[in-house]
Amino acid sequence: MAGTRARRRWAWALALVLAALALAVPLTVARRQAPTPSGTPVNVLLQDFKVRMDAAVVPAGTVSFRLLGQGPTTHEFIVVRTDRSPDKLPLQPDGLTVNEEALGVELVDEADGLDIDDRQTLDLRLAPGHYVMYCNLEGHYLGGMYAALTVH
Amino acid sequence: MRRSRSTEAGATSATQRTAAGGRSGIGRLFPRLPILGDLRLGRRLGWVIPVLIVLVAAIIGYNARAIAQQRGSALVVYTASRQRAFVERYTTDVLLVVDGFKADPEESGEDVREPVDVLLDGGSVRAPQGGGRRVEIPPARDWRVRRKLEQDRRLIDQLIRTGDGLLDGGRADPEYDANVTRLRVLSAQLSSVSNDAVREITQQTEASLSRLVQIEIVLGLLSALAALAMGLLLRRAGAEQAAQFRSLVNNSSDLITVLAPDGTIAYQSPSVQRVLGRRAADLVGTALGDLVHPDDRHQVIASLTKLVEAPGATDNFGCRLQHEDGSWRHVESICTNLTDDPRVSGLVLNVRDVTEQAALRKSIGDLLHNLARRSQGLVDRQLELIDELERNEADPNRLDELFRMDHLATRMRRNVENLIVLSGVDQRRRWSESVPLRDVVEAAVAEVEDYSRVQVAGIHDLTLAGQAASDVAHLLAELVENATSFSSPTTMVEVSGGPTGNGYVLEIEDHGIGMSDAELAEANKRLAEPLAADVAVSRMMGFHVVGRLAARHGIRVQLRHCWFGGVAALVLLPAVLLGSAGERPAMAPLVPAGVMVSPEPLLVAKTTASGWQPRARLPLRRHAAPAPNRGGDTDTAAEAGEPVE
Repeated sequence: MAGTRARRRWAWALALVLAALALAVPLTVARRQAPTPSGTPVNVLLQDFKVRMDAAVVPAGTVSFRLLGQGPTTHEFIVVRTDRSPDKLPLQPDGLTVNEEALGVELVDEADGLDIDDRQTLDLRLAPGHYVMYCNLEGHYLGGMYAALTVH
Repeated sequence: MRRSRSTEAGATSATQRTAAGGRSGIGRLFPRLPILGDLRLGRRLGWVIPVLIVLVAAIIGYNARAIAQQRGSALVVYTASRQRAFVERYTTDVLLVVDGFKADPEESGEDVREPVDVLLDGGSVRAPQGGGRRVEIPPARDWRVRRKLEQDRRLIDQLIRTGDGLLDGGRADPEYDANVTRLRVLSAQLSSVSNDAVREITQQTEASLSRLVQIEIVLGLLSALAALAMGLLLRRAGAEQAAQFRSLVNNSSDLITVLAPDGTIAYQSPSVQRVLGRRAADLVGTALGDLVHPDDRHQVIASLTKLVEAPGATDNFGCRLQHEDGSWRHVESICTNLTDDPRVSGLVLNVRDVTEQAALRKSIGDLLHNLARRSQGLVDRQLELIDELERNEADPNRLDELFRMDHLATRMRRNVENLIVLSGVDQRRRWSESVPLRDVVEAAVAEVEDYSRVQVAGIHDLTLAGQAASDVAHLLAELVENATSFSSPTTMVEVSGGPTGNGYVLEIEDHGIGMSDAELAEANKRLAEPLAADVAVSRMMGFHVVGRLAARHGIRVQLRHCWFGGVAALVLLPAVLLGSAGERPAMAPLVPAGVMVSPEPLLVAKTTASGWQPRARLPLRRHAAPAPNRGGDTDTAAEAGEPVE
């Protein structure tokens, strides 16, 4: 009699654990799954003080920038449309950061707070043209942290 | 009159040793709390108390750790944040020197390096508000922070190299502008990395503190649970103890009564239903005196009145309480004055029903009395026969033998009378007329075997109330017998008297071996508080008989040391028993006052002119054998010739 009761108790406990797992696993998997890229993927590495991309020319339309921060410093990823050379963007009066509101520079979008091993995806609909991607933290751009992208 | 106090003391100490050594187990670890009592809750609380102690210790430890960590983190943040200022100062110093101004870029360069080196490798830094005191900082352990700081160090190296290039080349250097820009960019990058490192350290510190707070919350909750568990256990213990107490009170054969100072019953235990057939609730608010037998009421009220004036004192008394059916129950009470205790505020009586014991004691007393009376009758007949033989005998030798028989029979009669006294039955002969005190004293002396060693002197011409004469003579005979038995046969025993403010004192002094202080105190206690008849009384019959006889008439008897050795027995006869000589009928003196009793054969009339019959005549006596020790039963000691102690 006592054995039957103990077995029943164990069965209940096992059922509860299985139910919890059945609920928790799909949620965890769904949360961890990256959204399926809907546009042209471009992998971007941000490191001191460089921006490396695996593509320099992409077709017009949606472009998915897969950002990976490699540090050691935290970086941001700013996309501007401009016909200027990537190393000739206008600077702020402090001479250390890019003036994103200057003539000939059109801010498209940005992602920030990319620390070591942080990943983000930035989906942008890009029209044909020239684009420059850079980090505008003090001294980063001038340290060479920029890249160019052509959309055709 | 023997004592065996050493045996009692040994038993007491053995009991104390047993009680003291009775604790074991959890009782040794934790002090016995009053609430734990006999419920042995120490074992139940045993797991709660250590858990609570561990939790509290953990909370204290984590608090100390949190404080230390917070202080260290603050120092780390302070050190990291200073680097930006050092970098700016270095840059400025370099440019100033290049422009020809005075500055010390080398020193400021060292300052730039120091924070990073300390943060990476550990070391001491100057405390911000420590008055120059340096505080140790442990090396950074988090890999993110370390990577940022290593990058910081690389940038500093580049900064210093760039600065050195500027200092070396000066404005004339074609790379001057590029180097200045590079210096500013590196400075900005260093600021960026430093800020990043500071932010990371701050975040980690906050996360660590947050974890500590969470742990403390958990520990606090566990402590609260443990405290709650302990509280519940204690509450349960209290409830169990209260239930146990209620059960004890309800089922005890004893009554527990709390009296208000005015004598009304403030609390009555339910056991009164069983003992007196009354409901406890009906008695609350009534006067205790209403339940007490009228003959005992005065004594009870006197005891309670005396007790109510002495908070904390305890008194014992016996009385009879009326049952619901009208019968009387004999009870013994122990009353303690707890009026000063706010939880009680009254007199607590613990009352025990001893009706059966009283009946048994009375039955034994009656049995003892009946047997003694039969023996007394036979001894009286024997004495009459001896008396008749003495009257008809002319041969001095045979007469001497008859006198010895007479004496032995007299002692037998006193022993029988002792039994009657101890039986508690008061059937003594009472004389309506007063009796000369001197006659009573001399009659007492006449009962003693060594009467020739007794010197009576200075007895005043007073009379003694007739109802007390026989008992006083008996009492004095016991004391004189004791004095002669426990002193050398070559010494005298002196009986004298003198008036006092509240009566008359008879003093019986011997020159014997005396008594120790302890023995004297014990004997006086027996004289003042004679016990009920039991085996102990049979061993110390003399003092008990004297005590009982004295108690009948309000006479006080006390023993004390004589300054010349030996013991003096003081007998204080109260004034109510005494009268002057003119108040009594004239009677022939038994022995001339103030003179030693003659050793010659002397026959005394059995009935005096007042009608009082002396307890004995004065036959020819011989000296008793030397008695070894004082304080024992005189008959036993004298006849057995053995030490009485």
